[in-house]
Amino acid sequence: MGAIEAPFPSSAWFVELVARATADPAELEHLGIADLRFGVEVLLPDGAEEFFGLVLDGFDINVVGPTTAESFGSDVVVSGPLAAWQDMVDWIEEHGPADSAHSLNGLTIAGIPLVARSDDAMGSDKFYRFMGTIQAVFDAAGAPAPAAARA
Amino acid sequence: MTLGLDLDYLERSARGEFDLGWLRDTGSEWGVRAVPSKTGLTLRDIAIGSYGEVPDHAPLRTMAPRGSDVEPGVPDMGYTINDRAEVWADNVLDLYEEAVSRQWSATRDIPWADLAPLDPDVEHAMCQLATVLSEVEMVAADFPAKWLWRINHDFVEAKMFLCTQVMDEARHTEVFRKRALANGGGLGKATAVVERFLQLILDAESYDEGSALMHLLGEGIVLSLFRAGAALAPSPVEQKIFRLCMQDEARHVAYGTMHLRYRLASDPSVAEDFHAYLDQGEEIISMIFATPEIVEPTAILAAGGLEQACELGTAAGDVLRHQIIGDYLKRCAHAGLDRRGRLHLPDALIDGVPGARVEAAV
Repeated sequence: MGAIEAPFPSSAWFVELVARATADPAELEHLGIADLRFGVEVLLPDGAEEFFGLVLDGFDINVVGPTTAESFGSDVVVSGPLAAWQDMVDWIEEHGPADSAHSLNGLTIAGIPLVARSDDAMGSDKFYRFMGTIQAVFDAAGAPAPAAARA
Repeated sequence: MTLGLDLDYLERSARGEFDLGWLRDTGSEWGVRAVPSKTGLTLRDIAIGSYGEVPDHAPLRTMAPRGSDVEPGVPDMGYTINDRAEVWADNVLDLYEEAVSRQWSATRDIPWADLAPLDPDVEHAMCQLATVLSEVEMVAADFPAKWLWRINHDFVEAKMFLCTQVMDEARHTEVFRKRALANGGGLGKATAVVERFLQLILDAESYDEGSALMHLLGEGIVLSLFRAGAALAPSPVEQKIFRLCMQDEARHVAYGTMHLRYRLASDPSVAEDFHAYLDQGEEIISMIFATPEIVEPTAILAAGGLEQACELGTAAGDVLRHQIIGDYLKRCAHAGLDRRGRLHLPDALIDGVPGARVEAAV
């Protein structure tokens, strides 16, 4: 299917992810409108962290970052070690859409290996309200690159 | 009843002599132009002019749209909910648009053909959970339907949102019955304790009471069950069912939370009433945590089978309990109702749940 060439996490990786996720607008529109500021916090082995934002606005999806959690202003942040994120991405690249165990929901429900945090109940409920869309975005890591899809 | 048919008008109009009072003498806002936003013409886009002004108290009890010129003598429809705070939520316009946009079909959007045979214990567990969920979901259609006709049309956006909830719940009822019947297991057991909670919602004496019990407490619990179901799903079929239901349920809970917030902001003196409703609801809900027909299927799904369920399933039950109570407390707090220290749940359920108790002052 062609893994995203840019390393995870990087701005280029997220931009390519969104390009794949939005390659078929009809598919995205079938999921419905969304309204979510989704933060991705990757904890690196050296103790540093990388933060990227995905903004779901109607049928548009935009990438913000690298940035910080404070400046992005997330509804919900999913945070965890690089290894956990990488496992999820690798699994999707190899198998396609995430199964329960490799989905954002499955990885966050017990607070390990990833944790979903929000300032208030509306943020966490937005995570649940738009779970299908945000998962579809990450599932696009296993989709063909837009150029390959057109070929 | 006489409708007052104007026979003279019939004759005049037959001669082409139009009245045109509706055209010349109406105090309408000629020239009003709602501008579509990027997803289309939304309820928020048309909330302009006098139509956009939602009164705190409805001046009439008619079906006329806000902003229209209401003829004297329109009948009184007898609505009993005529105060905005009784049904409104600041997010209700957006939730309606979201609901309409994110509808799905239990027939078309679930990959039923991909269902595969499961371990019999897992299939039993899935069917039992599906039975309970199919049983409880329709009350969240019955309750709004019971109150819809009593809500004044000046708050039509809230009515419209509740209509979407009715459709959502019909679909949830449908999809879990389909799941129970589609893979060899069949429907399981319906329990008295679940039905008692449903009865409490349906028999609520006010919309306030029923909404608190249903939107906030009951649907919050079901939302956590959906979330757990999606995480524990034995196949992509169940994963999709639970994920789609979770999205719908979270909308209903978001309405309930923001409705309570609006209600309490409008009249803080009703807080004690809501505490009392939830005291009663929590007492019944606590029994659900000790209902084998709910606890055990969840444990078996979490563990992947009956044999492993005692060990792994209990841990999964703890995760679910923490999430249910933790999320519920967060929603109450966001609404402006602090339930810490007032929970009518036994210590065994509260223990270990962050924020469930009021921390003692140091």
